[in-house]
Parts: sequence; C-alpha cells; structure tokens
Amino acid sequence: MTEESNSPMTDTDSTTTGPLGPEDITADSPFTLPGFFDALAEGRLVAARCTECDTHLLPPRPACYDCGSRAVTLSEQPRTGEVISYTSVNRPPSAFDHLAPITIAVVELDSSARLTGRVAASLEDVTIGDRVELRVYDPETVDIDPDFDLSYEEDWPIHVFELR
Amino acid sequence: MSTAHLIAVGSSPLGKTDLPGRDLFSKALAEAFEELPDPADVVDGLYVGVQSERYENQIMQGTLMAEWAGLRNVPAERVEACAAAGALALKNAVRDVRAGVHDAVLACGVEKMTAGGTEGATNALGAAFERALEQRSGITAPATYALLARRYLHETDATERDLARIAVKNHRNAAANPRAMFQQAVDIETVMDAPDVAPPLKLYDCAPVTDGAAAVVVANDEVAADLQSRPDAIRVAGVGSAANNLAVAERDLTYVEGANVAASTAYEDAGVGAADIDVAEVHDAFTVCEALLAEAAEFAPEGRGIETVEDPGDRSAGWTDVRINTSGGLKARGHPIGATGLLQAVEAYEQLTGRAGERQVADADTALLINEGGVADAHTVAHVLTAQ
Repeated sequence: MTEESNSPMTDTDSTTTGPLGPEDITADSPFTLPGFFDALAEGRLVAARCTECDTHLLPPRPACYDCGSRAVTLSEQPRTGEVISYTSVNRPPSAFDHLAPITIAVVELDSSARLTGRVAASLEDVTIGDRVELRVYDPETVDIDPDFDLSYEEDWPIHVFELR
Repeated sequence: MSTAHLIAVGSSPLGKTDLPGRDLFSKALAEAFEELPDPADVVDGLYVGVQSERYENQIMQGTLMAEWAGLRNVPAERVEACAAAGALALKNAVRDVRAGVHDAVLACGVEKMTAGGTEGATNALGAAFERALEQRSGITAPATYALLARRYLHETDATERDLARIAVKNHRNAAANPRAMFQQAVDIETVMDAPDVAPPLKLYDCAPVTDGAAAVVVANDEVAADLQSRPDAIRVAGVGSAANNLAVAERDLTYVEGANVAASTAYEDAGVGAADIDVAEVHDAFTVCEALLAEAAEFAPEGRGIETVEDPGDRSAGWTDVRINTSGGLKARGHPIGATGLLQAVEAYEQLTGRAGERQVADADTALLINEGGVADAHTVAHVLTAQ
C-alpha cells in the first residue's frame, strides 16, 4: 500500500453552525459523504461537532444523536488516538477474503471523536490503549475487490490505522 | 384501547433444511392454525419480518405470505430492522389490535439463511452495519460484537470462560426444547477450545446460521373469547422500542442504552418492574449480548450480567430471580434472523401456558422479550407478556 497523504491536521472549526439549509447539502460539503471523502483524500479527516454538547459525529451529519441539536459545525480531526477495543475478522466479507485475518479496532482520536478502522498490525501486536495514527490510501492501491464498491464509492479513499 | 392477546403460535423446523422460505412459513402457519379456523376467518392483516432479500432474491414478502395464508386484499407488510424484524412484526400487530384497526393480525417472520452458504449469509448480514467507514473496513457481525466483548472483558471482572458458560447454559436449555436447532449439551472445554471467529469470540459464542419461520396470532378480546379452543391465550401487556447508533464506533461498547429504554418502556406499559419478570428471552446473538441485556433489562447489577448462568440463589445481591433464554436462546435454539423475535414469543407462550415440558419454569406468569437488530441495540424491540 502506498500512502497518499500524511499532513498534520489543525483543529480549526468552520465558522458557520447549523441548522443546515437545503443549499448547504451539496456534494462539495463534508456534511455529505462525497464531500467527506474528498476531504479525506486530501488528508483532512472532518467530523461534525455539536456546538451544544460537544459530541463529535463521524462522518458529519445534520444533527447530534446525543442531544438532538442541529447546531453542528465542521471540525478537522487529529490523526492520532488510541485503541478502545479491537478484534480480528477471521472470515471477512468475500471482497476482503484475501486480506484475512483483518485486525480491526475502534479508535478514539485525541479530540474524542471515534471511528472504526483496520489496523496494519497482527492481532497479537495490538492491545487496548495502544497509540495509533490514521493513514489514508488511494482505493486503487488497496487490494479490495472493486466489485465491492458502489458506483459512487469508487474514488473514496480507504483509511487504516498504524501503530505508533 | 383493546387488549392484545397472543392466541396461537407456530414454528418451522430450525436449522439447515431443504425447504425454501415460503414453505418454512407454511410449516409455522400450519402449527399456529392447527386448532383455529382458516386464517382468512381469523385475521385481517399481516406483518412479516424478513432480514434480507439477498437470500432468496425475493421482496414483496407481505404479499407472498398473505397468499400462502389464503389472505387477499388485506394489509400485508414486510418489516425490516435486521434481526429485530420479527419483534417489529409483533409490535405492529399489537399496535393495530390495541388501536382497533384490526380485530386480529398474523405476525410472522421467515429467513432462508443457508441459501447462499456461509459466504452469502456473511455478506447479507454485513449490510446491517454502517457502510461508509465500517463495512468498507471489512467488518462482520461477529467482529462488531467482538469489539463489545473485548471492551466488556476489559472493563469488568468477566473472563472468556464466563462468556463460554453462557453458551453451555443455553445449549443445556435447548437440549430440553423440541423446537431447538441444537438439542444437545456442550461442555465448557468444547466451547473454550473451539476455533476463533473474532477474538475473544469463538465458534460457540456465536448464534448459528439458521433456516426457519415462526407465526403468531394476535387478537382482541372478542376474537380471543370466540376462539375457545385456545382458552389459555396470553396477553401482550407491554411494548417498547428504540433505535440507537448504527456505527459500532459511536456507541457505548458496554452499555446497551437503547435496550434499556425499550425494556423500561415495555415495563411501564405493562405496569410491571424488572423484578416481576419470571422468564426472559433476550437476544444472545453472541454470548456477550446475554450479559449486556441482563444488565440493560435491570435484572443484573452493572458488570454482573455473566451471572445469568447461575441459579437465582447463587447470584450476587441486586440480581432478580429471572430465568433467561430457557428456549436455548439464539445460540442453541437457532437464529433465523427475521423469525427470531417471534420464536422468542413462542417460548414465552409455552412458558406462560405451562407447555414448556422439561424446561418449564414453575409459576411463570410474566415474560420479557428483547429482540435486537444491527450491532447490539442499534434497534431494540421489547415486549412484556403475561398469563391471563
């Protein structure tokens, strides 16, 4: 796998907060999946942050599941975090067969946002509390059956965590 | 508001069978209506829970099941919430009867999981998880629950052996259940020595891929009273449901809050508390789920759900006397996804009407059912059933 981007992230929030209007929901906005993955391909992992209760929402969405507020804003996320839980997928979906066993983890980023991803390490080398860093790869360099992708997913990058 | 009664139940054989989905449904229907008039003379609506059209390449299951039951020109709808589909069908039937929309409704569920082999089932079940970040990382059902189990073992005193004891208990229960897929006990070493599926979960921590169907008839006071051949109908006294988070990363890994909300709502609706529940069928798709759900249902103190395997007298203070998954649970009775919530209702019916044979819990008159879909409580439906 080759790495597409590894620039450090800043923690600058966008200035506008929701509720989003219909005109805000475009494929350019990280509030939609195409916009979220475009940003990720450029090395920016973007969450939504609830300005009422500070919950992070990954990927971004128009409302906070925790408090119900639509006062959400975009927030660039740090690339580093720690393993909250992990396992190994010994029998993955068929598109991932040749990658088995796949080590997978729930990672809490240093911002407190959480996301699931593969870990580029064998199961025995991972434990709760391990520090990891997010890497983002061009899908063409990741060996996943292209038939797995829906038409709109073909250019979306694939994220993987590496142990630090 | 009318009372909703459960007046008849039926199920198909469970396991790998040579019957397609519609024929499994015919089996369940035939048992449910063995002592009843034609379905068309009893029910005026139908809900069917089906997890996925991938297995048999068939949607429009409401229409199909209605036809097979001899019903035409009545409302007949397929409902879907992955493994909670069966209880969702029951919930909708109860709602319609309570509201007076229908006098009686057939709630059923069916899944033909073996049609595409293990790979087909893995891929079909994978659709229940968040697509953009989690499916695209190669996640599977056992892996999502392994993430819960790993964290549970980290935060509590529980061990892999404690989880294994849940599988042993449910196999022992299934050995006394003629409906069960696995009617044999297993010993703890067999469970502990089994191959890893998604560590710390091993083969016997996981419910099996199962073909099967179940059907129950929900009726109002008048219909229940008219059908005197089944004088021992039970009452659906409480209903609750809740959706929680879809992505495993964004949920609490050791507390199934949505299940607590659903169960609490059902308790309140029924006017009972956790301590009143004699028997419970909870969604043990993986062993850790039974521990988590015992806590969410307020049967067990936080972190002590693993004592579900103990006799009531041997449990920690704060535990109720409930008996959990007397059917053998999803683990050993079997888990035909869309039918599972209704198989839970079948067990409650048998326990509350004194038909549970060797596994009968003495004086059981109140039951809780918890059926879930997606990872943990992504969707939960809970019911409280009471003897009349």
